[in-house]
Amino acid sequence: MHITKDTCRQLSDLDIIRRAMEEVDYFSCLYERYEARLLRYIKRMGALTEEEAQDVLQEAFIKVWKNLHAFDQNLKLSSWLYRIVHNQAVSCLRKKQSFGKDQTAGFNEGLLAHIPDGGPGEESPEALEEKDQHIHALLNQLPLPYKEVMVLKFLEDMSYEEISDVLKIPEGTVATRINRAKKALRKLSGQTTV
Amino acid sequence: MKPSDKLIQMIREQQIRPVPRWRFTLKNLLLWAAFAVAALLGALAFSVVLFAIQQTDFQVISHLSHSRLELFLGLLPFFWIALLIVFLLVAIYSIQHSPKGYKLTLARLVGYSAALSILLGALFFIAGGAQRLEQAFAVNVSLYESVQEKKARLWSMPEEGYLSGEIQQTSIGSFELEDFEGKTWTVGYEGAFIPPVVLLERGEKVKLLGKMDGPGRFEASEVRPWGGMERKGRRGSGLGSER
Repeated sequence: MHITKDTCRQLSDLDIIRRAMEEVDYFSCLYERYEARLLRYIKRMGALTEEEAQDVLQEAFIKVWKNLHAFDQNLKLSSWLYRIVHNQAVSCLRKKQSFGKDQTAGFNEGLLAHIPDGGPGEESPEALEEKDQHIHALLNQLPLPYKEVMVLKFLEDMSYEEISDVLKIPEGTVATRINRAKKALRKLSGQTTV
Repeated sequence: MKPSDKLIQMIREQQIRPVPRWRFTLKNLLLWAAFAVAALLGALAFSVVLFAIQQTDFQVISHLSHSRLELFLGLLPFFWIALLIVFLLVAIYSIQHSPKGYKLTLARLVGYSAALSILLGALFFIAGGAQRLEQAFAVNVSLYESVQEKKARLWSMPEEGYLSGEIQQTSIGSFELEDFEGKTWTVGYEGAFIPPVVLLERGEKVKLLGKMDGPGRFEASEVRPWGGMERKGRRGSGLGSER
């Protein structure tokens, strides 16, 4: 059974889940709806190729399928998907042992100015892309607990509550990690020359 | 082939099915049950710790002339403190792994679990359950040294001025006491402080502060009730205050 894009578009996330329980093909709607966002997130989390990122996403969605009944409807579906994808990505990256060992990018103090204190401003797509690249290079120098909150907050534009749901840590811990991550970035800037 | 089609094909080919809902429900129920049981057992352990503290005359230790630290450590109810910690950890683990458990900070998890155990434990202690539980443990577990045994050990040092036992016979100004090792003592209590709760009658268990006055003789400066539930029944009788 082929599900058209139009059909998918008309369905809410919960409708898709309900229908997928009866007909697995509807599950493809969910995949297509979140594919771009989640792939971008996986790549932001670490040095993975397009193919590796696709594999991570496939594996993550298999887990989503298996655990479909575990989804708590009080949670945003996107937060739940990010959580599963995040865990899969971290697991893959740990296997590759890429964190902190192959990071050679220089550090630019000026990059810190790109980290906003609140939500995203009204910027052009080019400016956002450029900011993304700058911050990505910068964040790669941070330990994982700091990097993940910074990516979710400033690149995925999530609230503290959403980050808390994704990483399964208290909101207070999210705030603390963001503050410490910012301090760590400032400290790094003092040790590294461009 | 589109990645989404590839995913659906993989699910079909490998016949992957969602895990049934009841498994997740059961897991959550087990976590909450584990929390409830751990909090309850932690409460029981805490109540016995309270009972042990109540029964142990820590202030007496400061008057002892030797090995105060050793004696203090020997009197602490380590077994129950260890049980309390273990059950607290289980309670914390259970609640932390419940669906919304991650929302709570470690400090709150510890605080809530400890508060529940302390509250229930205090109620159990007030209701007198702690002593019964401790006694049941002492009777059924041979290796376990009960609070009463520890207490008896502390109050069986006549050379240090501490003696305890059961009154066998009374006369004016003195009584005969059988200590917990079966040795008989003649105890003089002229001028001793005796609180109203102490009746000084045959069969009553008491603890004495004073000094050894020769073999089998002890001069008491203070006579205290042995403590525990026996004391409760006699409280309020008004006897003993006139001696």
